[in-house]
Amino acid sequence: MSLEKVLENPRVWRGSSQVGTRSGLASGYPELDRCLPGGGWPPEALTEILIGQYGIGELRLLMPALARLSAEEAQTYCGEHTEPRWIAWVDPPFQPYAPALQQCGIDLSRVLIVRPKDDSELLWSAEQALSSGTCAAVLLWPVSLDDQASRRLQLAAEKGHSWAIAFRPLSARQQSSAAALRLELQSTEQGTRVHILKNRGGRPAVLDSLL
Amino acid sequence: MPRAWKSPVTLRDTAPTSSAQQQVLPFAEPALLAKPLSVTPTQVRRLWFCIWLSNLPLEACQASDEALAIVEDQHGIHRVLQADSVAAAAGIMPGQSANAALALLPALRLEERSLVREQQVLEALATWLEQFSSFVSIAGKDVLLLEIAGSLRLFGGLSNLRRQVSQGLGAQGFSAAMAIAPTPLAATWLARAGRRVCIRAEENLGPALRKLPLDCLDWPAGQRESLAGMGIASIGDCLRLPRGGFARRFGAERLLELDRALGHLPDPRDSWRAPERFCADYEMTEEQSDSELLLHICRELLLSHEQFLLLRQLGTQRLCFSFFHLKSTATELRLGSAFADRSQERWFDLLKIRFETLRLPEPVIAVRLRSGLSQPLQAETARLCFDNKAGNERRRYSIAQLAERLVARIGEQSVNALTMVAEHRPEYAWKVQNPLSDWSASTLTTRDSIKRPLWMLPEPALLPADSGYPLHKGCRLTLLEGPERLETGWWDEQSISRDYYTAVNDAGIRLWIFRNRQRTPNWYLHGIFG
Repeated sequence: MSLEKVLENPRVWRGSSQVGTRSGLASGYPELDRCLPGGGWPPEALTEILIGQYGIGELRLLMPALARLSAEEAQTYCGEHTEPRWIAWVDPPFQPYAPALQQCGIDLSRVLIVRPKDDSELLWSAEQALSSGTCAAVLLWPVSLDDQASRRLQLAAEKGHSWAIAFRPLSARQQSSAAALRLELQSTEQGTRVHILKNRGGRPAVLDSLL
Repeated sequence: MPRAWKSPVTLRDTAPTSSAQQQVLPFAEPALLAKPLSVTPTQVRRLWFCIWLSNLPLEACQASDEALAIVEDQHGIHRVLQADSVAAAAGIMPGQSANAALALLPALRLEERSLVREQQVLEALATWLEQFSSFVSIAGKDVLLLEIAGSLRLFGGLSNLRRQVSQGLGAQGFSAAMAIAPTPLAATWLARAGRRVCIRAEENLGPALRKLPLDCLDWPAGQRESLAGMGIASIGDCLRLPRGGFARRFGAERLLELDRALGHLPDPRDSWRAPERFCADYEMTEEQSDSELLLHICRELLLSHEQFLLLRQLGTQRLCFSFFHLKSTATELRLGSAFADRSQERWFDLLKIRFETLRLPEPVIAVRLRSGLSQPLQAETARLCFDNKAGNERRRYSIAQLAERLVARIGEQSVNALTMVAEHRPEYAWKVQNPLSDWSASTLTTRDSIKRPLWMLPEPALLPADSGYPLHKGCRLTLLEGPERLETGWWDEQSISRDYYTAVNDAGIRLWIFRNRQRTPNWYLHGIFG
């Protein structure tokens, strides 16, 4: 059996093909950017953030990057003029507070809040928003997210050139996921510790007192 | 609308008493028609296209393979009014009793005549005919009139126009007798007499009409009989009678009709205007619950809806489907779109999303589609796309389309945009916006320099206190910043007076809490900094 034949087998995974050539989306935290391949959040992919409780800094971690996406002006991409893109919040646990979003630099006129009734509607909405190509980022808070669903979100994000961020409980750590990046946030006495569990094209790392 | 004809004899159009009639109407001499009574509107040449649907009772019924006869109650006996070709071949004739017809052909399907249904069909046809003329009129139970003088050039001449109309009617399953004449009544009579003629010049009208038998007039049978008894067989014979005597015997209205037909008197007609809101039903012969079939029916309705709006250059933002059941109340399905649209494909896309989750309590017997207020369509210029591939892959649909897809699936209340409100009370400083309404960008910027929390609780949550200090999940909170005093809202019932603090709990979570200064000084949690 020749080497080419072996490589054609879809079960053979090659690390080099996974390393994105696209540059990452600067997170606003240089320490974190250094750990991430491409120097920032993986664009056009699913990022999972595991948190024990709401409010330990999960939004603060994202805000600089979201603000940059929100401030994106109309751009010309592939010879086509595109409108500035939106940020969708799918089933947030509390109300995102408009004045605070504005203070963080998010353009309120391009924020969409979706409140689906159950998890299947949530995943459907998130998938629609991701694959539509009109949302720069989609934040979602699913009750549960199995391997298949995360795979679908990952594909939708690639299709719509969108950044998906799923917030999940700490118990999801043991589950497998198709996400390109998985972070775990824990609060310690020094601040919030960010633990990079999975890092496609990079290495796992622990960042103490990032926030 | 037709220009009002300024004619000195318009007064005669009012229904006169028979005594007054004699003074108004001059007595006729044989050569009466050689010199017209009044000024004829020769300035505006009009041409009326009459479509007589002689088989309307039969054709208004849904076609099926069985032999069909329409029956009507005549003096307590159901008699055959019309029979289709299969039934006629079996010997069923108009005027037979229903029992006799059934004896001849036991498999015969008998349908009661429905004038309501015929009127609906007539209106639908009138709407369809609006594409040929700006003036369509429904005259009586089975006659449609089009004023076509203005349409001839557009449709490439009279014969072309006639062919298009007749082909269109044929495709819809209607057989029609057609005639064209300068006055509406003349066209009607010619059509009813079965003359496929086209009279364009007014001077040819008289000779053509004179030859027509009295059968083609829509006059009461008794009058036609008594005329026949007098040896009057054609319209020409009628015209030879003395006008005064004729009016006395048969009513002035008959005489006026003759004058109108000949163009001596104006004959204004009502123009048919199709309703601006679309409403169409699809009735099924039996109950159906197959969703494929129902979707197909909805698609048919959407197609006619698109056609309806296309003729008017309109679009609509709201649609409502009603699914009727035999016992339960109708199930309604409302659709909304971000901008006025008529495209069947887009509405069908939205419908499919909703239809997946629709629960029908019973099988469906009929479907109705109603459109909301229509509005002028803002046509978008399609872009010339030189690089087809990149454009299509990059952006599949706009944010408005995304919003309407989400709304279609999960409901209008569940999809929102945010905007700021000029208000110091934190809970009123923002509000949600309907994503399907105009996306108005808020130009307001927050004036608070003090940091606000990213998460807001729907209602402030009461915090227990320990000797004046707030507790959160059993442990004492440390106040980091504050107080920020907000005391406002005296103008309505919701006035507040609060001291806001930023506090941190032992897990390192920063909270936005306040102490109420009105009434009891309790601590409340209002937001989380996230």
